[in-house]
Amino acid sequence: MTVPAIEADALGKRFGRRAAWALRDCSFRLPAGRVCAVVGPNGAGKSTLLAITAGLHAHTEGTIAVLGTDPASARSRIGFVDQDKPLYPQLSIAETLRMGADLNPGRWDADTAERIVAGGDLDPRKRIRALSGGQRTRVALALALAKRPELLLLDEPMADLDPLARHELMGVLMGQAAEHGTTIVMSSHVVAELEDSCDHLLLIGGGRVRLAGEIDDLLAAHTRVSVPADTDLAPHDVVESRTAGRQLSALVRPAGPLPADWRTGPPSLEDLVLSYLRNPEALAAHPTTEAAA
Amino acid sequence: MVDYRIDRHSGVATYVQIVQQTKQALRLGLLEPGDKLPTAREVVEATAVNPNTVLKAYRELEREGLVEARRGLGTFVRRSLGAAPADSPLRAELEQWAARARESGLEREDVAALFTAVLETHYPVHPKIPEGDPS
Amino acid sequence: MTATLTAPAPSATGRPAPAPRQLRWLLRLHRPALITGTALTLLLGAALLWLGGPLTDAAAAAWKEYNACGFTPRCSYDQDSILLYKDLYNYTTFAVLVVPFLVAAWAGGSLTGRELESGTVRLAWTQGVSPARWLVSRLAFPAALTVTATGLTAWLHRRAWTAGEHRIDTTKLWDDTPTFYANGTVPVALALTGLAVGVLAGLVLRRAMAALATAAAAVGVLWALVHTALPYLWSPVTSVSALGDGPLGAGIAVEEGVLTADGDRLAAPCVNGGMSGCRASLDDIGAVNYYRDFHPASHYWPLQLVASGLLVAVAAAAIATAFALLRRRTSRVSA
Repeated sequence: MTVPAIEADALGKRFGRRAAWALRDCSFRLPAGRVCAVVGPNGAGKSTLLAITAGLHAHTEGTIAVLGTDPASARSRIGFVDQDKPLYPQLSIAETLRMGADLNPGRWDADTAERIVAGGDLDPRKRIRALSGGQRTRVALALALAKRPELLLLDEPMADLDPLARHELMGVLMGQAAEHGTTIVMSSHVVAELEDSCDHLLLIGGGRVRLAGEIDDLLAAHTRVSVPADTDLAPHDVVESRTAGRQLSALVRPAGPLPADWRTGPPSLEDLVLSYLRNPEALAAHPTTEAAA
Repeated sequence: MVDYRIDRHSGVATYVQIVQQTKQALRLGLLEPGDKLPTAREVVEATAVNPNTVLKAYRELEREGLVEARRGLGTFVRRSLGAAPADSPLRAELEQWAARARESGLEREDVAALFTAVLETHYPVHPKIPEGDPS
Repeated sequence: MTATLTAPAPSATGRPAPAPRQLRWLLRLHRPALITGTALTLLLGAALLWLGGPLTDAAAAAWKEYNACGFTPRCSYDQDSILLYKDLYNYTTFAVLVVPFLVAAWAGGSLTGRELESGTVRLAWTQGVSPARWLVSRLAFPAALTVTATGLTAWLHRRAWTAGEHRIDTTKLWDDTPTFYANGTVPVALALTGLAVGVLAGLVLRRAMAALATAAAAVGVLWALVHTALPYLWSPVTSVSALGDGPLGAGIAVEEGVLTADGDRLAAPCVNGGMSGCRASLDDIGAVNYYRDFHPASHYWPLQLVASGLLVAVAAAAIATAFALLRRRTSRVSA
């Protein structure tokens, strides 16, 4: 696997010449076969990034390669589930799946589509307009997965699902990744939702990439320290620090070995993400290291 | 067959949970040499964890010599962890000890606390880590 | 698991992927519109066939009876047929001319506007259908259906009108505005332009109702422009007549006035050259003849075809704009 699933360099997008940048200076590389969480607050640019990757928006500046080519050329190899899960309301579930088969000649896997729909006890004759949000998500995922994509882009896929369906469909996605090596990119503003399923993180805030890399590497590169309040944390990069009484608690990126008398511990993923989001200026200029593909 | 249950709030890394639960199954005789472990796909479909996590756990078990991966066939148990079979003398001693504890009026929780404390002394696991303070 | 479930299909680069089958789903998604459109076309076609056949015969017979009556006070003729003919002619003419508006409204509202508003277009574009292919499907087959339906009804209208000519005393003249348009190719071109403008409006506005209204209004504006320009779309013939006869020449008038001995064209102060008062003012300005530039009936088809050509050019421009817009908005295949 030498061709990365996504490679973006200084990618930027704004909707209109005078509009604000929805995404700016976005550089990262996602190796193939990863399950990547795109995390950030609402309006951070997650949806814009996914839509550009899916070939739905032309980008304004920079470059992006998807599956080794441009997004438009990769279109038939990409699965995409939009945040709003748009489907044709007048079609039945069965018709929607037949449409998927007709629109993806040569790629369609009807078994997968039917299995996913069947997992929700849905009557295939039911019309899309009569489905709940979670049921629509299920049909939208069935459409995206049955075209057997090499790259699956999911914008807030789990938002409408109850915990049971969420667990089951996440299992289906992970099964897809295990079986076919499908690269999966899913956005969420709830980190905990993705923690166990993802091995790669793309943290976006204010239209920029704040952190990118393997989750294990990112966690290993950071340390939570507890020291007396007057301690000088230099030369280590400080992501966030708080003083409570005589105690200083900080999340740092050690520049070398830490003094033995500092109380240290590994941060959780949520801890890491929240610290970066709370401190927009922290290490913004730091390119993060990534494991080779 | 092992049925992995991942506890998100245990604080134990997910791959470690899979390793531990596999070993538990080996100890209890639920898995025996020659048995096939579930495929990564089966595990992730049931648990929704990342496939690489399962593969990492299986590699760890393989490193410890407990299982072996046969190309294209799956992962198979090589040896069991039969260190404490159900009818060992150690068990009989523990049975006696438990009976005495009960006679002396100890509650279930008292016994568990006592046992855990002794266990910690003789089998220290991971060094204690101060909790982060994200609040 | 099926045997096909091995690895994702090989990359589509290098060879063209099989074309997605969109037509069936286009028809399925727009089934109500298709059924309504077909029913309206058939109904209108049947009405025109009846109008041009049995009803024309009945009305013509009634006119014959009426004219035979002379001034006999008590005379019976089939007045109902005459009135029915007149009503039905007016209704069907109106119907033929209103179709382009309906096509434009549907194209803007339903064909593209609603898809962009609800986001289903993103579903299509991330299935195996590229934006360009999607747009082609939204234009090609509807255009074929539109041309067929409007061509058929306009042809039947002309046929019905021709059947009544010289047989029914109140038949509209060829240059009567609604009749002029309903008899020719302009409704076809206008409907096609409506489709293109509607599709473009949906893409630009991304709102169904706004695109529907804009497209219908655009058809109205285009038609008004064509109508204004119509006299100038083909070079007219000039008839020169004696001052005593007044200006002559029946058809679509372009310009009229008087000619001086030097051949200069002047505005006519009055048109009754036979009356002495008028004659005096004509003599004052040195007029020697009346003239009139006009289009006789023989210019019917040239005028129709040039007007239709202009509309088709507008349609082509709208389609080119729609493709350019999609290309600019969405990611495109780099060379």
